[in-house]
Amino acid sequence: MIQIKNDESIRIPESWRSKAIPMIVVGIIAVGISFFLFRLVSDKDVMKLVSHSYLANLMFCMTIAIGAMFFVLVQYVVRSGWSATVRRLAEIISSVIPWLAMLFIPILVMLVLGRKDLYEWNASREELHGLAAEKTGYLNWWFFSLRSVIYLSIWSVIVTWVHRMSRRQDETGEVEITLKIQKYSGPMIVLFALSVSFAAFDWVMSLQADWYSTIFGVYMFAGGMVAFFATMMLLFDLLQRCGKLRDAVNVEHFHDMSKIMFGFNMFWAYCGFSQFMLYWYADIPEETSWFRTRIENGWDTLSYVLIAVHFIIPFLGLMSRHVRRNRVGVVFWCAWLLVAHWMDMVFMVMPNTHVPASGLLFIAHLIGTIGMVSIFAAFLILRASDVPLVAHRDPRLREALTYSNPIL
Amino acid sequence: MASIATSFEIDNTIEIPGRRAPLVTGNQTLGSVTEMVSSVAERPQPKIWYIAFAISFSMMVMFFSLIAYLIYMGVGIWGNMSPVFWAWPIVNFVFWVGIAHAGTLISAVLFLFRQNWRTSINRAAEAMTIFAVVCAGIFPGIHVGRAWLAFWLTPYPSLNLWMWPQFRSPLLWDVFAVSTYASVSLMFWYMGMIPDLATYRDRSKTKLRRLIYGILCLGWTGSTRHWMRYEKAYTILAALATPLVLSVHTVVSFDFAVSQLPGWHTTIFPPYFVAGAIFSGFAMVITLLVPVRKIYGLEHLITMRHLENMNKIILVTGSLVGLAYATEFFMAWYSFNGFESYTFINRAFGPYWWAYWIMVSCNVICPQLFWFKKLRTSPVLMVIISIFVNIGMWFERFVITVTSLSRDFLPSSWGYFRPTIFDMLMLAGSFGLFMTLFLLFCRFLPTIAMAEVKGVMSAHAHAEAHLAGDHGQHHH
Amino acid sequence: MSEHHEKKDRSRPPQSQGWIAEYVDEHGLLEAARKVREAGYTKTDAFTPYPVHGIDHALGIRPTVLPFIVLVGGFTGLGTALLMQYWMNAVDYPYLISGKPLGSWPAFIPVTFELTVLFSAITTFLGSILLNRLPKYSNPVFTSPRFDRATDDRFFLYVDSSDRYFNKNSVQNLLSSTNPESLEEVMEDASSTVIPRAVWLSVLLLLVIASIPMAIILKMRNSNSPSPRWHVFFDMDFQPKKKPQQISTLFADGRAMRSPVLGTVARGQWEGNDAFYLGYDPAKLAAHAGRDRSRFVGASLAAAMQDPVGAPALGQPPTPDEEKSPESAIPAGSNVPAKSETSDEMDESSNAAEKPSDEPSPGDEATDGKVMVEETQTANDAASPSSGEPANPSQDGAALASAVPTLPFVTNIPMEIDAQVMELGKKKFEIYCSVCHGVGGDGDGLVARRAEEIAQSYWLPPTSLHADAVRSQPVGQVFYTISNGKGKMAGYGAVLTPKERWAVVLYVKALQRSRNASESDVPLEMQSKLSQSK
Repeated sequence: MIQIKNDESIRIPESWRSKAIPMIVVGIIAVGISFFLFRLVSDKDVMKLVSHSYLANLMFCMTIAIGAMFFVLVQYVVRSGWSATVRRLAEIISSVIPWLAMLFIPILVMLVLGRKDLYEWNASREELHGLAAEKTGYLNWWFFSLRSVIYLSIWSVIVTWVHRMSRRQDETGEVEITLKIQKYSGPMIVLFALSVSFAAFDWVMSLQADWYSTIFGVYMFAGGMVAFFATMMLLFDLLQRCGKLRDAVNVEHFHDMSKIMFGFNMFWAYCGFSQFMLYWYADIPEETSWFRTRIENGWDTLSYVLIAVHFIIPFLGLMSRHVRRNRVGVVFWCAWLLVAHWMDMVFMVMPNTHVPASGLLFIAHLIGTIGMVSIFAAFLILRASDVPLVAHRDPRLREALTYSNPIL
Repeated sequence: MASIATSFEIDNTIEIPGRRAPLVTGNQTLGSVTEMVSSVAERPQPKIWYIAFAISFSMMVMFFSLIAYLIYMGVGIWGNMSPVFWAWPIVNFVFWVGIAHAGTLISAVLFLFRQNWRTSINRAAEAMTIFAVVCAGIFPGIHVGRAWLAFWLTPYPSLNLWMWPQFRSPLLWDVFAVSTYASVSLMFWYMGMIPDLATYRDRSKTKLRRLIYGILCLGWTGSTRHWMRYEKAYTILAALATPLVLSVHTVVSFDFAVSQLPGWHTTIFPPYFVAGAIFSGFAMVITLLVPVRKIYGLEHLITMRHLENMNKIILVTGSLVGLAYATEFFMAWYSFNGFESYTFINRAFGPYWWAYWIMVSCNVICPQLFWFKKLRTSPVLMVIISIFVNIGMWFERFVITVTSLSRDFLPSSWGYFRPTIFDMLMLAGSFGLFMTLFLLFCRFLPTIAMAEVKGVMSAHAHAEAHLAGDHGQHHH
Repeated sequence: MSEHHEKKDRSRPPQSQGWIAEYVDEHGLLEAARKVREAGYTKTDAFTPYPVHGIDHALGIRPTVLPFIVLVGGFTGLGTALLMQYWMNAVDYPYLISGKPLGSWPAFIPVTFELTVLFSAITTFLGSILLNRLPKYSNPVFTSPRFDRATDDRFFLYVDSSDRYFNKNSVQNLLSSTNPESLEEVMEDASSTVIPRAVWLSVLLLLVIASIPMAIILKMRNSNSPSPRWHVFFDMDFQPKKKPQQISTLFADGRAMRSPVLGTVARGQWEGNDAFYLGYDPAKLAAHAGRDRSRFVGASLAAAMQDPVGAPALGQPPTPDEEKSPESAIPAGSNVPAKSETSDEMDESSNAAEKPSDEPSPGDEATDGKVMVEETQTANDAASPSSGEPANPSQDGAALASAVPTLPFVTNIPMEIDAQVMELGKKKFEIYCSVCHGVGGDGDGLVARRAEEIAQSYWLPPTSLHADAVRSQPVGQVFYTISNGKGKMAGYGAVLTPKERWAVVLYVKALQRSRNASESDVPLEMQSKLSQSK
């Protein structure tokens, strides 16, 4: 019988801890460099570009954390056994949400200062025209900020509570804690579903204030889930390369996580197709405008490439069971899908600047992403320090260590 | 440990984390499972079966007579009138297709998620899927007006038409989606039944029975090589059926959503229709299986745990449907599209307010009762709630179809839909067809996937053995 | 397992096929399987009521190739669906709908998906059955009655006698050492494999009977029949509606075909040129001297007032006050007595176009033709002063002839003509005109021939379009006749658009010319062909 001991093998490598602060510094510098590069892209639109880029990168990290939160809650609510050894890392990823909330402050400050670089609706009713003017009752700086705070607080409370309870079980080993989280995760999922959908409407959909799509939140969520599984598997691989978690996470877990990632990727394509199909078919100008923005100014290449990169190629690549059970294959496709998710976030946000797509723009944005991701990674390291990476006294640990994938 | 074990025997809905509750109760052996399931078809049917069959068979006869009358008279006997041309028949179609979805979800999606509790209920649910698709397929078929020319929808090289179907129309996608769904479900169902039909063959007392079940089971022996290909094939079919089941109601939703009609044209429709379909389908499974397990004494196979799990799915999908209603309503307001917001206000407070509030109370409020364990483990209550859910889901399709259509863009063509007696009798008749098929299924075919239940029992025994620590004896 | 033993000799006793051991649980089976494999046997198999995991490893069974076959099936479905939809909607039968491109890839995705799944599923289903060599109803293991429990609660291990190392005694010893519940020798299935004649004959008979309806349908769909179709379904063939040329009691004139309301033009059909609609130039008509003009205008108004339902078509020229029926709604000036009985007046008419014009209207069989003719006569009598006053024929008739020789018909077709217009004219002529006038315009259409055949008493043969009187008519007059009818011929103004009517005029003129053409009229490149055929 394999046992998980609460020792160094389930902690992050010692060398990582000292890297957190330098990574935050690197991150801030990278964001600065991207600011400078965006100046070269377009001096006139620099604030627009920087703020959109910042939002796209923040959403890139935020969707991953939100995906982690959903994963944890679902594992509890369905009494899942297989995931007992991998759940803790997802808890840690999700527990970064309160810290990521801090990164929202620049956006809120911009709104309070009345800047329209990011959200075009941040103006008085008289200055706006069309439908955007009608929406000032809902889309205005204070209500938007209030809602953002509410979403972020809901998530922060959920992740902190779940993480704390789970940590308590590490010490006491009480079975009742599992039952307790199980009991409350149902209602928490309801809260989650509502807030995630509306957050997506507010933060990303309202970039184009007159456009709307009811499936938008689901689409963002599906993409986030794909990115979350990719991140989690890459982290496990990295930790195992550093000699950690070798007993706790085995090929069966990778196989299962790849399957779910594969499934969510299909779901992402399904949501994207549903949204596109209905608007393409009905062909109503106010609805197709969003897609029009994405095929103008040179953004069309990105839009078409995204279909292949995010769906068709990984679909064919991950179809085989042998790939999903092969570490190299899994790591390759996880990295690939993270890139795809990055492209998806660019596709969601950047065309709204109406600045023509260019190589320099992508490089500037990529440097911004590197900055944001290193800050995100630093947060992760800080959150993971002194926390066992496996809930080593979870009552379902035995099942997670002994199960095997039957066929698929 | 002993006390926990006994508590499982009493109530397997309680699960201690780290130890799985048994899915089959009452200390069953492989032989007793065979005996229990086979006796459903081998023993003389209970009186209630004959009563139910007589009722549903006469309703089915009425249904087919009405179809004949409809073909003779034309669709004018229905209440379909300008501007509501898609009325009851299409509502019934969407309703029945939705019912069908639970079967595939149980047999394919839960299979992929390794939800072993599916094994006791998947066979009946799959059968229900096929019968519901049969009912569903009839309605658009007779709604086309000249039902005898419905085959024009298939792309066949015609000798006298010299034309092809219109693949840019969502209604044609429907033809493909529903017929693919029917075919794949049938194959999946039959495939799953082969080992159990072999069991029936081997237990046959009469030559005729042996011959018929023998032909149906294709000469199955239970050879390991066969099992291996069979399991692989079953898994592949499950993997194919999972996106298929999503696609079917998605395509049904496209029928509505690709149009420009307010209340139909909204991007959440595809996943929202799928959630609603699963919701109504599970409600129908509950409605059917609670009496079936009682009448045939299958309580040890279809345990309270199975029913509770299904009720949880009803709760989840019901809440998803509620979330979709809320999102739609919010978006109708947020879009500041006058037509959209009018449509939604008209739904809730217009002439069809009663249908809307039946829908909301049955679909959103009713399943919320399942938050309470007491309510979701009471057989009588769950049947009542599931019937309400089915009523609510029928009304959901009614609300979507009729309220949007009755308010045209041109106020002068606004109207109010009134069903005729034929509308109502045909809906009732379709239930007769559905129930007749289901009763015949119970009478002649294996109602529970015996082979799968046995496999799950074996897996559970393994897990228990692991727990006891005596795993040296067997291998994995 | 026993493919080698398919040839059966009924004369010899059943041969041994191998040994089969029975176990009560899967552990016993697994242990035994491992032992048997370790002993080197490969032609082995296990029979279990449910899939026992690990037995395939224990027996050394290789994984199946089924997934690859399914992949091929899926891609076949994908390709088939895409090609089929594109070919059918964009190549073979292209038509535009709702502004979508012919090859609408987003719209093709749902069907593509469904067919991919369908093909994959069918491949999976058939593939797994065929790879398992099923259906197979005769199997040596079935000979043992104990084997019935293989689908119930017992586990069996089988070693085939065709195995390389098979030795009856050693296999028996090996298997008994695994503590089986029972151990048996499997004998070949001695029962006959020949299907009884009665069975296959009845199956054949059933197939033949089942194919009869299909054969009848195929035959009926591919053959012609003089009798009307057999209505299983009515196909909306019998509807409470009026078709062209039918009578109706609803209107005073008894016609089901209605003309447009006087003075109206259908939306989108106004060409800005009166002559285009009328066949004559109303401006020229207006320029006529006072008495005639007022007579024309007054008559037109009176006709409209007296017969509001059956109001004459747009551009209906003035008619005499007394006229009621559309047949006689023909201008007095152009239409001197249109009846054979009053042929004396024919000469008087200076109008070359005139001739007995009792055109039969094909659909109006039920209407009493005689009455119509008489009405026409009275109308004409009243309308034309000359008919009433034979004493003074030359003066009055000549005055009329000189003042209003005819309507100012146009002599050139007021629209651009090309080969397409000619095609259109031919098409419309053959649909609407040829039934009476004949395909060649000789007045020998099918209706006319039929009427002659049954010697319909009131039937008046249609005019030959090659008669001199018709040939000399200006195009405007032919147009006018088509639009408003003449004699018993109904007007086709409501059926054909002006453009189509002009096209028919063009075609009629072409027909007429074809009878009087010289060799030089034939295009140069065709002339050589002509001479060759001579």
